[in-house]
Amino acid sequence: MTKSPFRPDDAPDASVLDMHRTLIRTLERRGLLRAGLTLGSLVMLTGCDVKRPEAVEEALLAISNLNDRVQALLFDANKLAPTYPASMILRPPKFNAYYDVTDVKPVNGATWKLELGGLIQNKRPWTLQDLQALPQRSIVIKHICVEGWSYIGGWTGVPLRTFLERTGADLRAKYVAFQTADNYPSSIDMAAALHPQTVLALQYGGQPLADPFGFPVRLRTAVKLGYKNPKWITAIEVTNTYPGGFWESKGFPWFAGM
Amino acid sequence: MPHSIPIVVATAIMLAIAPACAQSPMPGGMPPPAGMSLAESTAMRFPQPVRAGDLAHRLILQPVESQIILGRVRSVVRNAQGDVSVVMNFGGFYGYGGRLIAVPIDAMVLLGDEMEVVAYTPKQLAAFATFTPDATTPVADDTILKVGLAKPSH
Repeated sequence: MTKSPFRPDDAPDASVLDMHRTLIRTLERRGLLRAGLTLGSLVMLTGCDVKRPEAVEEALLAISNLNDRVQALLFDANKLAPTYPASMILRPPKFNAYYDVTDVKPVNGATWKLELGGLIQNKRPWTLQDLQALPQRSIVIKHICVEGWSYIGGWTGVPLRTFLERTGADLRAKYVAFQTADNYPSSIDMAAALHPQTVLALQYGGQPLADPFGFPVRLRTAVKLGYKNPKWITAIEVTNTYPGGFWESKGFPWFAGM
Repeated sequence: MPHSIPIVVATAIMLAIAPACAQSPMPGGMPPPAGMSLAESTAMRFPQPVRAGDLAHRLILQPVESQIILGRVRSVVRNAQGDVSVVMNFGGFYGYGGRLIAVPIDAMVLLGDEMEVVAYTPKQLAAFATFTPDATTPVADDTILKVGLAKPSH
């Protein structure tokens, strides 16, 4: 069996969770107690550069997790995000990453392959030509960044639902996770993955994606903030184990819905 | 559920503050290394096609975290040597007023629907001669130019 690109070389023994079950329960109770901090204290403690005590950070994380669950409850899988006329597409789109554009490493589309892992029946790797042969959908949607800026972009690609169905993915699983060529792991919930405005984008404005914007394949979803749209995707996994993400590991909310 | 309302409100406030925390670890819009030509500077920034007419009225920023507004694009011109420059008003207030200067387009980058001057500091721009249209021709709106990119500086 092919090794999943999502798994470390030396995976920890899962039995360690059973061995320390009592301790884990204690930690969960502490987290709930810390979540009861007052609103005023929280506001005072959320400055970016303040070194916060570990306990407060845990409380904030618990609140963020609660917020994720509330957003998941409120999410309407049948509600479409606003769309725009093609005349409003910004050409070229806005570049953003956790590094400047000069550090972009272009991906060779001729040799690129999309690896699959987890709860997917057919894990054969996909080429760019394979993806281009699937039904495509074009959407003109707003990209909204957590930093406060936005732009209207036009994307064409394979609906992620179509791809997951074709590969025999378990659509009851919780998460769809992504690995990328620029080491920017990301993941979304299955409901967002199946949303009609979530695509594996191959084109922008009717042209193949340019290198800085994720060639050959990136995710574009209208139901998540910008940082949930990984570029230069190299692997997709369907899983019930929380996969996290690049910014999420630095404290950003995971759900990041709109 | 009612008990969770204050927590959700607190989280909403946290998210409102989050943009200030969303700074990427690497700065954007870095100036070209010493000795590098403007053309080489653009070449390493993945230049992308853009309609000259689509540049009109764009804000021009200084590549610093506070994104100071330097001016706005007034026109795009080509000189006798074929070099393309962006005519911008400079020295005004929030993009208004000031005098016109012509900045080589290879000294600038695209930031979505804004631009940045990466190769010159405001002090250097202040020393630019006031633009006069002599010996230049306007670049037609439908002309496709290639302009480098940068990530936001905030």
